[in-house]
Amino acid sequence: MLSQSIWWASITLEVLLLARAIRGKLVFRYPVFYFYLSFIIFEDVISFLVFRWKPAFYSYTYWTTEFLCVLIGCGIVFEIYRVGLASFPGTARMARNILVVLFIVAAAKGLVAATNDPQWWLEAGTLELERTLRVMEAVCVAALVALFLFYSIPFGKNLRGILLGYGLFIGLRVITLTFFIGASDASRQFWGYIYSASYLIALGVWCVHLWSYEASPAPRHTIQIERQYQRVAAATQRRLHDARTYVAKAVGS
Amino acid sequence: MIGIPTALLLGTVLLLLLLLMAARGSAVAREVSSRSDTPPFEEEAGLDLCPAEFVTRIFCPDDWEFVSRTRSRQLQVLFRRERKLVALVWVHQTSIAIRRIMREHTEATRQSHDLHFATETKLGLVYAELMLICGMLFLAIQAAGPQRVRGLAVYAGALSGRLAQAQQNFKTVTTGRQFHGAGSS
Repeated sequence: MLSQSIWWASITLEVLLLARAIRGKLVFRYPVFYFYLSFIIFEDVISFLVFRWKPAFYSYTYWTTEFLCVLIGCGIVFEIYRVGLASFPGTARMARNILVVLFIVAAAKGLVAATNDPQWWLEAGTLELERTLRVMEAVCVAALVALFLFYSIPFGKNLRGILLGYGLFIGLRVITLTFFIGASDASRQFWGYIYSASYLIALGVWCVHLWSYEASPAPRHTIQIERQYQRVAAATQRRLHDARTYVAKAVGS
Repeated sequence: MIGIPTALLLGTVLLLLLLLMAARGSAVAREVSSRSDTPPFEEEAGLDLCPAEFVTRIFCPDDWEFVSRTRSRQLQVLFRRERKLVALVWVHQTSIAIRRIMREHTEATRQSHDLHFATETKLGLVYAELMLICGMLFLAIQAAGPQRVRGLAVYAGALSGRLAQAQQNFKTVTTGRQFHGAGSS
């Protein structure tokens, strides 16, 4: 009964979000996000039909569409990066470098793990595979959020909503999947509800933030420092060094 | 492939970062819209903090020794409490000043096209180190009081000096051996 309620509530919110987006022309501003949302509606309908008419194929259908959702989800991360850092080319470059470093670290870790345990790919269940992919997404989203916070990148209400909702969804998915995989049969039902509810929470956040279009606050003054980045960096380095010397001198070490 | 603690840790870190973003998000938007005349980055700007010579007094044991000699328990308790408070305020102000340096830097450079990954990483690490020092100082003052913190700092300084000396000696010996080996072969 509860899972039915969550399912119907999710469908309703998804349709509502899409309707509002078409009305407010948000679809054209965040195409990947709305494609993701449309795909989930499609997934819900297909899963329902398969479950009703061909239950034997339900598991295959569910996991195939779920895997595609994860892939499109990576597109949302890219869209957040693209839209959020459009006016900040330097910070965008930092983000690209950080994501490349993370990708190399993840690839190296995956390679080492695959060498140590070549059977993992064959033995791992779909849930474990999804968790691994979601963890990767979580790392990328966390890196982006950290960068946005560090450089105080201003957000519009819409983009903040997409990032908050999607990040919340990914974070909760990682946690619930971890507990779900290791849970006993008795507690699996509980974690199953939390697993489904995480998406409902994200939909709630999206509904609040994406109800209507709101322009991102552009930074008022464009700093003319293309020629003097090195000077600014050197000055910051000097000031931080001064701070360190000051603290050491004050404490008396 | 990914352990349970790692997955839980990463999920929690992401949720905490989002919480921080939700808390700071609206503040940043307000700040940006209201700040049309932000002062430009000043290369020669200082720390604007209390001079180190004055702050040294907070951590200096002289005043404490003087108060101890009065043998007034009440005065000693009052002195300790006040000193701790002053020291904590100083750490707080210092960490705010350090944060301001970094904020001014990020605001001045975030739109730059030629941001250097290595330089930014290095600055980020120095900043993290300073914030860590402030955090540790805060905890140490809370736990042991400013006078003992000075003692600890002096001890740590002497220890790191000895370590540097030992490392230098080790390097000299290794270089000497290599030189000797090269000479004999």
